[in-house]
Amino acid sequence: MMDLAVRDIRHDLGRFVLTALGLGMLLSIVLAMTGIYNGMVVDATVLPDTLGADLWVVQRDTKGPFAESSRVPLRLAERLRAVPGVSRTRSYVSFNVQRTGVDGRVQRFMLAGLSWPDDTGDLLLLAQGRSLRAPHYEVVVDVSLGLPLDAQLSIGRDVFSVVGITSGMVSSGGDPMLFVSVADALNIQNDLSNEALRLEGEARLARVRRSEYGRDPASLARAGQPRLPALTPPPVNAVLVDVQPGQDPVALRQRLEQWPDISVYTLEEQRALLVRGVIDRARRQIGLFRTLLVVISAIVMGLIVYTMTLDKMHSLALLKLLGARRGVILRLILEQSMLLGLLSFFVALLIGELLFGHFPRRVLVADSDRLALAGVVAGISGAAGLVGLRKALSADPNQVLAS
Amino acid sequence: MTEPARRTVVSAENLSKTYGEGALRVEALKPTSFEARAGEVVAILGPSGSGKSTLLTILGLINAPTTGSLRIGEVQVIENALPRTSLERQRRQQIGFVFQRSNLIPFLTAEENVRLSLEIDGVNAYESRKRARALLENLGLDKRLLSLPAKLSGGEAQRVAIARALIHRPSVVLADEPTASLDSSRGRQVMELFRDAAHAQGAAVLVVTHDHRTLDLVDRILEMEDGRLTERARAPGAGRSPA
Repeated sequence: MMDLAVRDIRHDLGRFVLTALGLGMLLSIVLAMTGIYNGMVVDATVLPDTLGADLWVVQRDTKGPFAESSRVPLRLAERLRAVPGVSRTRSYVSFNVQRTGVDGRVQRFMLAGLSWPDDTGDLLLLAQGRSLRAPHYEVVVDVSLGLPLDAQLSIGRDVFSVVGITSGMVSSGGDPMLFVSVADALNIQNDLSNEALRLEGEARLARVRRSEYGRDPASLARAGQPRLPALTPPPVNAVLVDVQPGQDPVALRQRLEQWPDISVYTLEEQRALLVRGVIDRARRQIGLFRTLLVVISAIVMGLIVYTMTLDKMHSLALLKLLGARRGVILRLILEQSMLLGLLSFFVALLIGELLFGHFPRRVLVADSDRLALAGVVAGISGAAGLVGLRKALSADPNQVLAS
Repeated sequence: MTEPARRTVVSAENLSKTYGEGALRVEALKPTSFEARAGEVVAILGPSGSGKSTLLTILGLINAPTTGSLRIGEVQVIENALPRTSLERQRRQQIGFVFQRSNLIPFLTAEENVRLSLEIDGVNAYESRKRARALLENLGLDKRLLSLPAKLSGGEAQRVAIARALIHRPSVVLADEPTASLDSSRGRQVMELFRDAAHAQGAAVLVVTHDHRTLDLVDRILEMEDGRLTERARAPGAGRSPA
């Protein structure tokens, strides 16, 4: 039996291709939503995954630096290093920075501190350059910031030299990440203006004058010096703990949890907090939007196949008059619906290949997602075909005689 | 007349069709009996609304009669109340249809339109292509095999439609006003095609027509009026005997 579906498509190929293009664009949005959804999860977890610590030690009763404000003393890292079973500790600090670049455009990024010299950034996914070799004024930036190697970057009062470029290191908000030493990060975070420093010095002098030390001229002189540290060392957000080989991180965590001033999370718990907490609303919103798009695609495709069937009602009536079996009509309608779905699917894949890389945020489409979309498209095509088939089987041979 | 030409291929007894009930009851076809033999071309005349189309849909196994029986070829198709699938098979094997408009499938070429009648009955593509080409060449359409219906003239399209009706060697060809949209010369050509096919294939050709210009080419004339079918007597020598 000749392939009627292919012959009908061939007869009006332009219309069929344009329809598939339109439908393919719709499906590409479904694919994009899936990719953005995946990308969001990867973006959210790329930092803890890259840093790779076994335990995250944070301020007591907080969920850690990615969920809420967490402040722990800088010296906590040394206390933890003394615990049996701990092989390495690293202080961690991160915060968002928004600045205006030399071209006048607003740059937004997340600055993270590496616990130099214990952590120079060797674990970072470096695409170019090197990790940190000096405790100050060196920075590793993500490629999405658009800076080349050896570029000079002014942050706060200091100028940093770009020594390395990472790929795919972004925050849960999709902003590029920059890595400097913890000391530099704390300097930037706690930088005070001249006016603030002067007021701080005066306040300190006033406090000394009111105390018994105010009667000692030497103490008064020391208190008035601007270089005297005004406060205790600034806190960091967390301490990353690596467990010695053969040690159980969970057991170590249970021991550390007995300390009154900290909470401890495993890497998996930190990841779960990020995925289920920080990006949960966005994730669910994208999930719902994706579901809505699938439903819309199904309705649109059903209408297209129905309209294609309406256009053929006279031919279908003629086929019935000539004695064609139902299978002939069933094959015609379902095959066209499936071919439309197939072509649309490949259009969606092609659009994805061409465009998703240019999206401002990571769009991560896995083979399993493509396979899932193929399944969805097959389902939609089948359902749309059934809608068309229902109409097709109602074709009345009398129409041919009446025409 | 050859032996196959005498065989009765259509036999209708007391066929009637009634629509509606009570006061709305309309008797579209009053009890009608007639026969058509192999090789005969029979014209059915009558004004609009006289019941010609109703009779055609019953003979074409599209609509069921209210009463009566119908035999096409060797099969008692109506009285036995054949299931839908069997009626479809009878339609594709025993009946050929030709209409006022060619009613070709617009997305198939002339050759494919003709092949369709064979392939929906399971004939393979090689065989159907061979037979379709041979028939279309006989009808002078050898240069139009790959043309779509939109590219054919009215006469060419109607010849393709006739080829489609004849390709599977049906017992009966039902033609509804096949010459109405053609000029006199082309109309006669079409009727001559029917005559030749009827004689060559041993099929009965029933032609519903208003076209009195071609009645000299038919063997019998049936007249329909108010749902009743009667045979018109013909003057001796009128019409042509089969060759």
